[in-house]
This record gives sequence, C-alpha cells and structure tokens, in this order.
Amino acid sequence: MAVSFPVRLGPAENTLIEQLKSVGADATAERIAVAGLPTRRVEAYHYTDLKTLLRAVPPMVDGSATLELALKAGPLPLQVAGAHHIAITNGLVPSDLSAPSGVTVGRAQGGVLSTRDDILVHLNGALAKQSLALTIERSLDQVIQIDHRIEGEAAHVADALKIFVADGAAATIVEVFSGSEVAHVGNHATYVALGKGANLTHVTVDLSAKASSHFATNEYHLAEDAQLRTLVIHAGAGLSRTHLFPRYEGAGAHGNITGMNLVADGQHADITMDAAHAVPHTTSQPLFKSIARGRGKAVVQGRLVVARDAQKTDAKLMSQGLMLSDEAEILSKPELEIYADDVVCGHGSTCGKLDEDSMFYLMSRGIPQAEAETMLVRGFIEEVLDPIEDEALSEALHMVVDGWLLGK
Amino acid sequence: MADYADIPTLKENIDRETVDSVLALDVDKYKYGFETDIESDMAPKGLSEDTVRFISAKKNEPEWMLEWRLDAYRRFLTMTEPTWAKVHYPQIDLQDMYYYAAPKSSPAPKSLDEVDPALIAMYDKLGVPLREREILAGVERPKVAVDAVMDSVSVVTTFREELSKVGIIFCSISEAIREYPELVQKYLASVVPVTDNYYATLNSAVFTDGSFVYIPRGVRCPMELSTYFRINEKKTGQFERTLIIAEADSYVSYLEGCTAPMRDEAQLHAAVVELIALDNAEIKYSTVQNWYPGDKDGKGGIYNFVTKRGDCRGANSKISWTQVETGSAITWKYPSCILRGDGSRGEFYSIAISNGYQQVDSGTKMIHLGKNTSSRIIAKGIAAGFSDNTYRGQVSAHAKAKNARNFTQCDSLLIGDKCGAHTVPYIESRNGTAVFEHEATTSKISDDQMFYCQQRGLNEEEAVALIVNGFVRDVLQHLPMEFMVETQKLISISLEGSVG
Repeated sequence: MAVSFPVRLGPAENTLIEQLKSVGADATAERIAVAGLPTRRVEAYHYTDLKTLLRAVPPMVDGSATLELALKAGPLPLQVAGAHHIAITNGLVPSDLSAPSGVTVGRAQGGVLSTRDDILVHLNGALAKQSLALTIERSLDQVIQIDHRIEGEAAHVADALKIFVADGAAATIVEVFSGSEVAHVGNHATYVALGKGANLTHVTVDLSAKASSHFATNEYHLAEDAQLRTLVIHAGAGLSRTHLFPRYEGAGAHGNITGMNLVADGQHADITMDAAHAVPHTTSQPLFKSIARGRGKAVVQGRLVVARDAQKTDAKLMSQGLMLSDEAEILSKPELEIYADDVVCGHGSTCGKLDEDSMFYLMSRGIPQAEAETMLVRGFIEEVLDPIEDEALSEALHMVVDGWLLGK
Repeated sequence: MADYADIPTLKENIDRETVDSVLALDVDKYKYGFETDIESDMAPKGLSEDTVRFISAKKNEPEWMLEWRLDAYRRFLTMTEPTWAKVHYPQIDLQDMYYYAAPKSSPAPKSLDEVDPALIAMYDKLGVPLREREILAGVERPKVAVDAVMDSVSVVTTFREELSKVGIIFCSISEAIREYPELVQKYLASVVPVTDNYYATLNSAVFTDGSFVYIPRGVRCPMELSTYFRINEKKTGQFERTLIIAEADSYVSYLEGCTAPMRDEAQLHAAVVELIALDNAEIKYSTVQNWYPGDKDGKGGIYNFVTKRGDCRGANSKISWTQVETGSAITWKYPSCILRGDGSRGEFYSIAISNGYQQVDSGTKMIHLGKNTSSRIIAKGIAAGFSDNTYRGQVSAHAKAKNARNFTQCDSLLIGDKCGAHTVPYIESRNGTAVFEHEATTSKISDDQMFYCQQRGLNEEEAVALIVNGFVRDVLQHLPMEFMVETQKLISISLEGSVG
C-alpha cells in the first residue's frame, strides 16, 4: 500500500561509491547506492545525520608523497613526555617499526573490526589498506603514543590498529589524530583485546583541523578480570564521531569508558557507545562530559545491553552537558536494554549552564568572571581527567583542555 | 556482618509473590473478557474510500468532514508503518477488519429507558454507572459523568444537563461535529496534524466516535468526566477520537477506561486524543488502560497504537497525563505535551506493567517551546513473564525556550529472567539556559532493602509489599480518587496477598 521512493544520492555518496568500487568492495558500494549514508532515521545516527553533515568526500589518499609530507609536517599538537612514538601518516604504517621491550609491533593488511551493521565500519574494512598490530606482552612503564596524521591536500584516509594485551599485562596507549588545515576525511578503526587480568588505558584525542571530518570506531573485548579505561577527547575536527563497542566477555571484567566533547561554533562532536555485558559478574561505569559554546553541538549516545544470563551486572552510565552559550546544543540519548533480572543498572543525564551559586561564590571573593568560569569548567572536566595515572599524559591532556578553553 | 544466608533471596520472593499475583492480571483471568451479544450494524469489511464515505454517511456528517476524512485517507496511502519501536507483531491486515460497528437500536435514544437493556447490563457488569445514581445506599459517591463508547459509537453520555448549566459541553465527537462545527473545525487536528504518523492518519480517515469536551472560560468542571471504551464485535478495529478544549482559567479532570472481550485474534485500536489548554487552564487526563492482553501464549489481544498529545497553548497552562497501563498485547503510546505558552507546565506519570507476552513501548514527549516552561516525568515499568517493557521519552528545549526545566525519573523492575526492561530517552537541549535532569534505574528489589525492612520486624511479604508500593507510589498519588480503587486492584499483581 505504501509507496517508497529511491534514495537521492549526494556528491559524498557518489564519491564513496566510486572509491569502494575501485577497490572491489561492490557490496558496500551497493549498500550506499541503495540506502545512502545514514540519516536521523537510523537510530545509531539519530543526532549525527551523516547524509546532511558529510557534504563531500575528498579523493582517496595518494600514498606516493607520504614520506616527503611527513618530513615537512609541523610539530605534533600533543606530545606525551617520554612516550614511545609510532607515526601513521596518511594511513601508511612505516616499515621500520620500533617498539619498547615487551611489545611486538607488526604490519598487517586491511581492516581489523568485527563485521557489524554500520556503514563507517564497512567503509574502514574496505578502504584501510594497512593496519598496525601491537602486542603488549608484559607491563609497560612507557606510554605508547600513536600519531595519526593526514598531511598534504585534502584526502580520504582509512587506517586501522590492532592491540593485544597479554594476560596480566598493563599498558597506556594514546592515539592522537591531527593533520593539515584542509577538509580531510579520516576513518579510523581500533580493535583491542584484553587478556585475563590485563589492564589498559586507551586515550584517543582528536585534534584534526576544523575543516576536516574525523570518524573512529573502537572495539574492545575484555576477558576475565580485565580492566579497561578509555578516554575519548573530541577537540578538533568540525565533524567528529567516535563509536565505542566495549564487550565484557569474562567475569570480573570492568570498564571505565569515558569521553569528552569540546565543541565551539560550527562543530559537531558525537560519542556513541554500544556496550554489551555478555556474561555474569561484569561491571562498567561509562562517564561522558560535553561542553559546548557558540553554536557548537555535542552528542552523547550510550547504550548498555545486558544479556539474558548476564546476572549481577553492575553498570551505571552518566552523561553530563555544560552549555556555555545560549545557542549551544547538547543532545543525549542514554539507553538501557536489559534482559537479566538480577542486575543494578542505571543511567543519568544532566544538562545545563554553569551553576549560578558557584559563580556568585567565586566572584564575591574577587575572582573575575572569566577566570571563575574557567575554574568551574576545569572542575567539571576533572572527573574525567583525574583518573589518568600517567603524569606526563595527564599533563598533556590538561594542556589540550586549556588550549580549548583559551579558544585556540 | 549480618548473616544473609537465611534470608531468602529477593528473587524467590518476587517470584512467589508477584509472579503469582501477576498471574492474577493474567490473561486467563482477565475478568472483562466476556462477550455481549448485541445486534450490530456493521460496515463492509476492509478499508477503502467507500468505507470512509460509509462511516461519514452513518454519522450524518457535513460535507467538510467527509472531505477532511477523504484527504486523510489519500495521505494515508502514501505512508508507511513506523518501525522504530521495540515491538514485534505480524503484519496487520487492514483489509481484514471492520471499521464500523454500532449496536442496533432505535435511532438516538431520548432517555436511558430506550437503550437496549443488554447494553446497560454489559456496562453494569463492567462497573460503569450509566444511570445517574447520585446517592447509593446512603453513601454519597462523587459524581462522575460518563460517555460510554462501544465499538464505533457513543452509546450514552450521562450528566449532560447538569454540565450544560455551567456551559460545559460533554458529548460524543460525532454529535459535536454536527452541533458545534465551528469549535471542531477550529481545534480538530490542531495538536495532532492529520499526517502526524501512520496510525494518526488512519484514525483521521476512519475515526468513528469518541468524546468531545469544551470547558468555557473560567469554569471549574464540577465533576470528573469519564469515557469508557469497549470493543465488543469480532474483527473490529476501534478508532476513537477525543478532543478536549479548556478555555482560559478553566479546569477539568478527565478519566478514560477501556476493556475488550477475550478473542484469539488480535484487534487494532488506534486512537487519537488531543488536548488544548489556553491561558491558565489546567487539564488532568488519567487513563487506566486494561484492554485484553492476549492469552498466556501471546495469542490475541489488542494492538494499542495510540497518539495522545496535549498542547499548552496559553501562558501558564498545565497538562498532566497519568496512565496505568496493564492491558493490550502491544502498547505503542506516548502521551505528550507541547509547552508552547510561556510558563506552561507538563506532567507525565506512568505505571506500565507487562506480563505474559505483552510488549509495551510507551513514554512521553515534552517539547519545550515557550519561556520558563517546566516538565516532570515519572515513569515506572514492571516487567514479568516473557514481556518486554520499554520506556521511550523525548525531552527537548527549543532555542527560544529560555529557562526550560525538566526532571525525568524512570525506574524499571524486572520480575523473572525471561522478560526485558529498556529505557530509551532522547534529551535534546538547544538552549543554554535549559536545565534537564534525567535519571533511570533498573533493578530488582535489593537485598539491602529487604534486610532493612525485615530487621525492623516486617515479614517478607510485608517488606515486598512496602517496597513495591513505594516503587509506584509517586505515580499512584496523582490518580484521581475514583480511579485509585480500580488501579490498586490492577496493581495487586504485586500487592495481592502481601498486604492485609
């Protein structure tokens, strides 16, 4: 009875179809041709309508000039003192890889993520040519910093990273995304598997140019008693979206999934989490903070799915938004999907401006308004930054936040 | 440390108590499941322009109304069924049902004496007073004016004269279309547009009856108004339309109840309810939804796809929805408030209980458009058996909604390990001065709570009763007195046998 209309494709979709066909990914190309990029009707993209937001896609990156560009590129926007650096420039993993002792690094072909019904995952799987594989065999003191850079002319880049943390090992890995001031599209994928009792702190910081679009998909598998702390910071690209898929697969696994959207005029940042508590006795505490000023738009979607037999799950999701201007937008969709009865699950979501009483308190003690605001904003963020144990990393992250606060 | 070993775990507790008592609500014991043999006048089966014309002709509707319906029907043909809700059901065959069924009786009974006695007996059985008995055995009962709708027509409306003395219009919507066309034309579909959604558009094309309420300026309605819906015929869809208009400075409290016979085929109920509150007006709308939920294997039951929306059009107006959802095989219902007037307020209190194979996807929308608007949402879901119970709610502040304020709390209680409880809130703040708070929890009754109560001398049953009672109390206390009794009976799923 109903009449359906074919989807009208835009320039971004047409470019993507061409790029996919050129690498033989006909199925994914067909999918875009039929359904187009996801709109708000697709629940996972409810607030990030890719069809509207992603107007154009630049040509696929040309690998030939990469080395030259890498040499010419400016300093890194974020440097963790004493960290071991691995650079992935324009999606290319260098051949002369080095690693601290206890870590094996290698290069592999193609995508790293599990297949799932998500267009960015499909795109990454089809277009990422190389992946970097890191195996952490024993606990590390040194932070590993992976620098994803997109340099030169506007380019579409897909790259991938695979991290294994052996049973009982502990590590801190930071991924930093940056690049030249043009309209790049970066599509990054990170697959993380934690062994029994492993402990990983995984921080991803987007500091790409405002003209560019940044997409990342991070998939985590946690074995028994594995401890994961993640921190996603969006503070760069005009359009950024990080999709997190933590899976708690062993009893005693625990995840502190945290994230921060820092948006100003014309920026749209989205942290989406789909967490699966698959077995009994797992816990998680996702915490997301968004700060928007100007006409910035921040999105947090968090979904906790507790499987039928995942009894004794304890999961609490919190999403907090702070609006520093009248025009800012903060959109949040915390979801619970629960099939087990003996669980304690909850979520909270708040959103508002700076507390007037606190402002009054500070200003009545002679602190100028701007400074008082900064103090309160820092306090708001601290809950996410404070648990980062590595001092050098913590300092670097504070600098990112301060940079944003100063309007850099 | 206290020794918890000899305290039975909560699960056993709930299983015995509540699951037992959930059975009370169960399907096989659905006490309104009888069928009444009343001769009916039916439209030909199926949906077509002719059906729409037939309904309009049966209702003696003016030409404009027929055109309005036909327009809705044509638009309906271009629409598709929404799929975003967390409910699953076989394709509904819109051609395999009747869109009009009316009890055959002498045209327009002048008094109750002319109404088919079988019909009055049926309502008596349902406990709905159609006779204007004011004093019963020396006990003064609060007066409730009732509009009884069976299948496609309004059978009788009580207390009309008394209400008309203060200028209140309370009648069936078909009557209103004939008698007060200017009011209907002005307000119909002004809150739920014709093409709002698939089911609302279908309703616009084929709605058969429902209630119409008009409260004039400055009048406080002297009694509760109530509509009682009953589906009686087989293979019949019920499409009712309710329109309530509260002029400036007025107040009305409105109750809605509904039941249906037990049948093993699913029946469709797609209603539209529109509320309009002008300056300083207040509308309180309460529902006890007790449609037949299907049998214990999930066969039959009512598919309840309802669009309910209130428009706080005037400054400082207030609309409050209270709902107790225990029936229906599938519930798809989001009573919402559009907070248009500055300083207006919306409230939503809900208890949704699901058992057997029931699927509930219900919640609300609070759309803040005006300055200084506020809203409050309290939703309690209790899932048992094989049911799925989803709260889905949207709170949004428009860029001009300065100082919008919302507080939302939704709690779910799971009883048994075959059911699911889900929460899907959409929180959209497009204004820096808006303050939104949302809180949701899912749990079973904690051992700590039980221990605390038992340590103070309550036995298990009392403790569970106390805790479950507390769980839904926030909502219960917002129900009008008249409904409390019925509601408590329905909620006895968790309280029966544990109190007194």
